[in-house]
This record gives sequence, structure tokens and C-alpha cells, in this order.
Amino acid sequence: MSRVITVNRDLSAPARAGANEFRSAMTRRGTMVVNMLSSPGAGKTSLLAAVANHLGRRRRMAVLVGDIATDRDAQRLAPLVPVVQLTTGGACHLEYSLIERGFYALPSGELDFLFIENIGNLVCPSSHDLGEHLRVVVLSTTEGDDKPAKYPKAFRTSQALVINKIDLLPHVPFTVDAASSDARSIQPHLAVWPVSALHATGIAPLCNYLDEQRSSLLDQHAQSISAT
Amino acid sequence: MHEMSLIRSLLTQVRELAKEHGGGIVREIRVQVGPLSGVEPSLLASAWTHLRGAAELGEATLDVEQVLLEAACRTCDNVFHPVRFCFRCPKCGGTETDVVRGDGVVLYGIVLDDAVLDDAEQGAAL
Repeated sequence: MSRVITVNRDLSAPARAGANEFRSAMTRRGTMVVNMLSSPGAGKTSLLAAVANHLGRRRRMAVLVGDIATDRDAQRLAPLVPVVQLTTGGACHLEYSLIERGFYALPSGELDFLFIENIGNLVCPSSHDLGEHLRVVVLSTTEGDDKPAKYPKAFRTSQALVINKIDLLPHVPFTVDAASSDARSIQPHLAVWPVSALHATGIAPLCNYLDEQRSSLLDQHAQSISAT
Repeated sequence: MHEMSLIRSLLTQVRELAKEHGGGIVREIRVQVGPLSGVEPSLLASAWTHLRGAAELGEATLDVEQVLLEAACRTCDNVFHPVRFCFRCPKCGGTETDVVRGDGVVLYGIVLDDAVLDDAEQGAAL
């Protein structure tokens, strides 16, 4: 006899449960987790270096950096912040289990921010919750301002868009308005931060935004504790 | 592409589901994917072909249904299909919207045949 069993369950539900636990644990510790997505070469590592130079002066931060192979990105960041390289050996995205392992491989000590530099790929990483509080998609001016509509999930699931390499705007067919408007059609509440990581332009406002987001997270957490 | 890891996860969840419902032979696995699922249905089918045997689900067929993207407006409760991924509510212009369908890979259900016991097992069951 045949039976039809209907469940209607998202396949990512078990992984998301683990990610939710990690997120809650990080909230209780006062650590804001930021997941950075982009295409390869958009400048995530340079951006993190610029953020470390600025925000790192007043906040304790660490980075988990994902790559398919090599530890080159970790080597670049190591002089600035505690960093752990996560190498996927071919996989196109990071998963929550790698994040948890990477976090415990960091030197012990309290953190204000844990940054995750995802694998350079605008497709697969957008489908994986890593237990982050904030997802930031990085788009560089050399990639073209038509990318948001081509990779909608990365933009729909992010809260902030960093437009990097604005120093190259005079040389490339890219306008910040076109990219922002395309992205905000997909995610109307996206905060947009034009920067040049290489020249540290726009990094201060971006860091202030990150700090505000963390304060707001901690306030919400404090309120939820006092309400119970 | 992460279709292989999705199929691995699907196989694990299907086996658990069948077990929860008393076991048997899984004949059909029904999944739904949409425009924001982040998977390509043909690659999902190809990953299934590679992995089904190893999971002892070789008797099952995989039915991939493609669903439309669906969003709900928090302001006016309008449910709409975003055109070209534009998530502004077409009715009230609201920007607070939630995706309600089409952004995940959903295990919708399975068709399970009761296990046929051989004579020795039937004897033991009696």
C-alpha cells in the first residue's frame, strides 16, 4: 500500500537550527558576526584590511577567511587581526560547521566583531546561513552595475551593500546610482556604502554603521533579557 | 554549485522521514524549487542520479516541481509574484515584504510503500 507523506520542510532547516544557536551564543557574548559575500576579486580582503586598520583601533575583531585553496588571504590579514583560514578544498561556499570550527580555532578572548570572508562566489554562499547577524555583499565597480539583478539572492538576503573600488569610477562604465537602484529594487532596505578599500575612502562611515548595528543588536538583546 | 551537498542532505532527511513513518520503500521524493532557491533543477536531477544508489533509495524517483516566487507585503498583506525580482508591493508600494515561496529547496513530501516482508520475516513478525 502506498502512503503520501507531506512535510513541506526547507532542506536547510537542520543547518539553520545550528546557525541560529551559534548566532544566539555570539549575541550573548556581545560578538557581532558579519558575513561578507562577493565575486572573486571584488576586494573583500582589502576591505577587511581597511576595516581592521580603522575599526580595529577601538574594537576587538577577528576574521575567518574562506578560500578554495591557499592561505594567502589569511597571510595578508594576519599582521592586523587574529585570523583563521578556512580552506574548503573545492567546495563553492562556507557552511556553518566550518564557521564553528574556525571560531574555536581563534585565540581565546572576547570579540566585538567576528568577520567571515566567504568564498568568492555570488551564487552558492547566498543560500547558506553561517550564523551571522549581518550579511554584507561587496560589489566592485569593475564588475559592472548590472550585477544585482543577475545575482538577486545575494542582494535579497543581505542588509548592506559595499560598492568597492570607487577610485576607478572615472575609468569604468559603472554608476553607483544604477547599482544601488538595481539592488534596492530587490532589497529596498539595503544600506549602501561606496568605498575604496585601497585608499581607505568611505571606510570611516562604513565602520560607524557596523558599530551602530552592533550597538543596536546589544540593545535588543538587553531588552529581551529584561523583558523575561 | 552545491547541488551535490543538497542531495546528500535530502537523502538523509528522506531516510529519517521514512523511518519516522514506520519504514518501507520510498517510491517518490517530491521537492519544490523556485527562482531564489539558488539551485539549477537539471543539476539537482544530475546530482540525484549520482547519489541515489549509495543511499539505498534506488527505487525512488525524484520529482522536482518549479514554483513561482511569491512575496507578502507586511503593510497591506497583498501576496504577489515579484517581476524581475522587484520586491516593492505592486498594490501599495510598500517595501516591507517577506518571501513566502520560491527561495528555498523544499522537501514537499514522499510516497512510501509498505515494506513487503519475506516469509522468514513474516514468521518472525507473527
